[in-house]
Amino acid sequence: MTLLAPAFLFGLLAIGVPIWLHRLSSENPNRQPFSSVMFLEPGEPRRVLAKKLKYLLLFSLRVGVLSLLALGFAGLALEGSLQNIVAETARLNVIVMDRSASMSLGNRWERAQATADTIINDLDNSDVVQVVAADRIIEILAEPSLERAPIRQAINIAEPGPFRVDYGQLMSSMESLLRGAELPVVLHIITDAQQSALPTRFADLAPRTSLELVVHNISVAGEENWALDGLVWSALSGELTASLRGYSEQDVERTVTLRLNGTEVATQNVSVGAGQTAQVNFIGVDLSTGINQVVAELSPNDELTLDDERYLVVKQPIPRPILLVSSNNRDSTSLFLTSALQTLAAQVYEIQQISPVELTNQSLENYVFIVIADAGVLVENDSVVLSDYVESGGAVFMALSQRSAGLNSVPITGHSLGSFSQFRVEDGGFLSVGNVDSSHSVLRQLEGLRSARFYRHIPVETQSSDTVLMRLEDGSPLLIEHPIGEGRALIFTSSLDREWNDLPLQPVFVPFMAQLSSYMAGDDRISTVARLGGTLSSRSMGFSGGQIFRPDGETALGLAGAGAGGEVIVDQIGFYEVLASGQTESVAVNIDAQESDVTSMPDNGFIRWSELGSGPVQDAGGSMEIVDDASTDLWPLIIFLLLALVIVESWVGNWHLSVRRGIAA
Amino acid sequence: MPGIARRESGDIQNLLHPEVLASLSNLELVARAAVHGFLNGLHRSPFFGFSQEFAEYKAYAEGDDPRFVDWNVYARTERTYIKRYLGETNTRLVILLDSSASMGYSSGPVSKLQYAKFLAATLAYLAAQQHDAVGLIVFDEEVREYRPASSRLGSLSGILHAIDRASPGTGTNLNVPFEKFHQFERGRGLVVVISDFYCDPEAMIKGVQPLAYQGQDVALFQLLDPQELDPELRESALMEDMETGEAMEVSPTFMRSRYRNKLQEHIDTIHSSASGVGTDHVLVNTTDPLDIALKNYLLFRQGRGR
Repeated sequence: MTLLAPAFLFGLLAIGVPIWLHRLSSENPNRQPFSSVMFLEPGEPRRVLAKKLKYLLLFSLRVGVLSLLALGFAGLALEGSLQNIVAETARLNVIVMDRSASMSLGNRWERAQATADTIINDLDNSDVVQVVAADRIIEILAEPSLERAPIRQAINIAEPGPFRVDYGQLMSSMESLLRGAELPVVLHIITDAQQSALPTRFADLAPRTSLELVVHNISVAGEENWALDGLVWSALSGELTASLRGYSEQDVERTVTLRLNGTEVATQNVSVGAGQTAQVNFIGVDLSTGINQVVAELSPNDELTLDDERYLVVKQPIPRPILLVSSNNRDSTSLFLTSALQTLAAQVYEIQQISPVELTNQSLENYVFIVIADAGVLVENDSVVLSDYVESGGAVFMALSQRSAGLNSVPITGHSLGSFSQFRVEDGGFLSVGNVDSSHSVLRQLEGLRSARFYRHIPVETQSSDTVLMRLEDGSPLLIEHPIGEGRALIFTSSLDREWNDLPLQPVFVPFMAQLSSYMAGDDRISTVARLGGTLSSRSMGFSGGQIFRPDGETALGLAGAGAGGEVIVDQIGFYEVLASGQTESVAVNIDAQESDVTSMPDNGFIRWSELGSGPVQDAGGSMEIVDDASTDLWPLIIFLLLALVIVESWVGNWHLSVRRGIAA
Repeated sequence: MPGIARRESGDIQNLLHPEVLASLSNLELVARAAVHGFLNGLHRSPFFGFSQEFAEYKAYAEGDDPRFVDWNVYARTERTYIKRYLGETNTRLVILLDSSASMGYSSGPVSKLQYAKFLAATLAYLAAQQHDAVGLIVFDEEVREYRPASSRLGSLSGILHAIDRASPGTGTNLNVPFEKFHQFERGRGLVVVISDFYCDPEAMIKGVQPLAYQGQDVALFQLLDPQELDPELRESALMEDMETGEAMEVSPTFMRSRYRNKLQEHIDTIHSSASGVGTDHVLVNTTDPLDIALKNYLLFRQGRGR
């Protein structure tokens, strides 16, 4: 027995009504006032018993009616417990349907379904069948069963998705699925034998367990596809470049249409050679400030439409203010820093320079981050103001230069400083950069840092909460990150001019400052692309909460889920939107370019894969209990019983009332 | 004989029927109608003129009512004498009226309490006509009304109003009115107890006994409804005690046989116990005309006077 809607069982509480009613009327309804009962004695028990039985019958009928109503709504069903012990000669046939994006090319999926149907038809009646779909994960579509109808139904309702399949992962997943199978296994893989789905090592295609492997290739010769496999924005040149690839043996002409925020802005024709790539450049595209959703579309569409569109998010941020605190606005620190940030193609930041005495008059919360050219220029009041700014989520980058030499500790952070005599290297000597934490956003993919020469620096005694991002070759910290409250302070233990080092003269200085600025401003936390099949959360976008909407407009993550730190599986192609803290961020999701390659693996490779199985499986003499989940809905029976009970209840109730009328008469 | 004219009037006799009396809204009117109806019906009655029989002359003394001065004698003798009548020798009637919840029972148009009120009012009126002092105690578990015996003009009206106000109360405790009587009524006289006597007969008699030994003449009027005397039950029923609320399911068979026996036994016990202490006991069916009770009262009064 099972219940399809158990919540309706709360309806059983209604039984309380007849219980209450019958409790009230369980005593003799013929109640009469009498002067005194001092001469009375209790009446004959037989009559009372008869009356009670009559009441009990009526009560039972009423409880029965209400119970049946509740059970009827709760969907009482007879759960199938048909346990079949399969025949000794039976085999477990596992049909794996490749459900990757490439299977939606032309009528590949229909061919796959027809192949599956043929496999099922050819099976012995004693064979057990199970259906599994494979793309990024393995999904069981139908449990092992002797019944063919549910198997066919599962195959018929399945559809290819946008994901990629990897045959190596597929075989690995099948091992865990089939581990412990008690019957000899025949594994049917129905796929398009995509070349790009092969694992790096051919050996990974081998089944991990003993089974008969039958690979059904449903691809046919002559299938072709053209895909947009790239769309790139160059901030430096202001160009959008779309790249195409043809998986065909013929040259074709294609048209690429560019849509910006839903509006078609440009169209270009392009020739794509057989098996060749091509590029289309859109120059002078006028991107608006903020988020731009760019879509490149290939026309005419081919048989695989999923890769005929390419999505890109380009952010054109409004220049945001940075505060540079320097005692002299013509000093070299200001010059190098300003030049480096202005070199960036996109004018992301606006530098506002002030002297230390003006610091306390500023509304610091308006600045994305603050750069202190020399921490030694700060007085105590400045440190207090800056500490408050950092604790509430701000970021400060401090360099230690000439004026810092006389300090005992670093302003704001309170790090202890070494004496001047300890940081001077012998005349003519210098130190290079030693360890670099290249996994950190500030230093990722920076080349040439070790070319810089450091003549002077101030040794800083690190604290337990610090992260040292760069060290000099003598082990002295060069760049320290120190968290304070909600914000952070970065300490550069040398100067940002040419006096103490030549870093500003190195080519790496500009990208270093660009990445440093991006990190300080928190821009690095926001990604504009997501991988299909990966996860997306508002937290990964740098927000503490928010909503996520799918490309089709459905809410993928509501406010409640976001609060709990929920993630969503990226399962649609297009633009995901993350709405949080009054901001909207957009994330582009594209099909895996490998799925566009519809080239099938060579025949010899395919044959070798099929031969990796252990050959036709022998009768292993195993047995397997198959449980067919077939629920029989008891609704009609309940309705019939309910009707019968209502009729009987009416009759008994009427009889009961007639007796009471007799008493009254 | 002076006094009441002989009249063969069925209409007036009908006035004594409780259902007819119940249609009269004013209790004084009820009492007046009942008494006059009763007196008019005393055709060839041994009680004819009972209250007007001359007994003796008495020299007028200060304080005597000048209305009773015999002016004929004064004319002849120039002395003032007062005529005294036989009835004037018994001068006090105290009515103990039970207004417990059980008295509210009725199977017809007149409840036991209503009947009791008619009877009490009629007795009070009759006594007042004879210039008897009349007192009243209305009780259930407590004394609800107390009017000391008085023959003053206007006291009857107060007593009738007190009777009229009586309504079914709680349980019955006969010792309470007897104690009250002991406490405030010192002289000898008539004591009429009107109740259904749903109580322990022995305990009740223990309360009556001191009154009897004190020289009071006590009459017990036991009022019962016809459904109590002769119950008719078709179906077993849940009988609920009007005083205690206790309910008991009884069968028709029981009500037809054992109940009647037990009730009769109870009545007999009261009757014999009352006789034992020289007290009258009269069983009254609430469908009976009121004259039966009145006749019993007159018999009782006559017996005391002699």
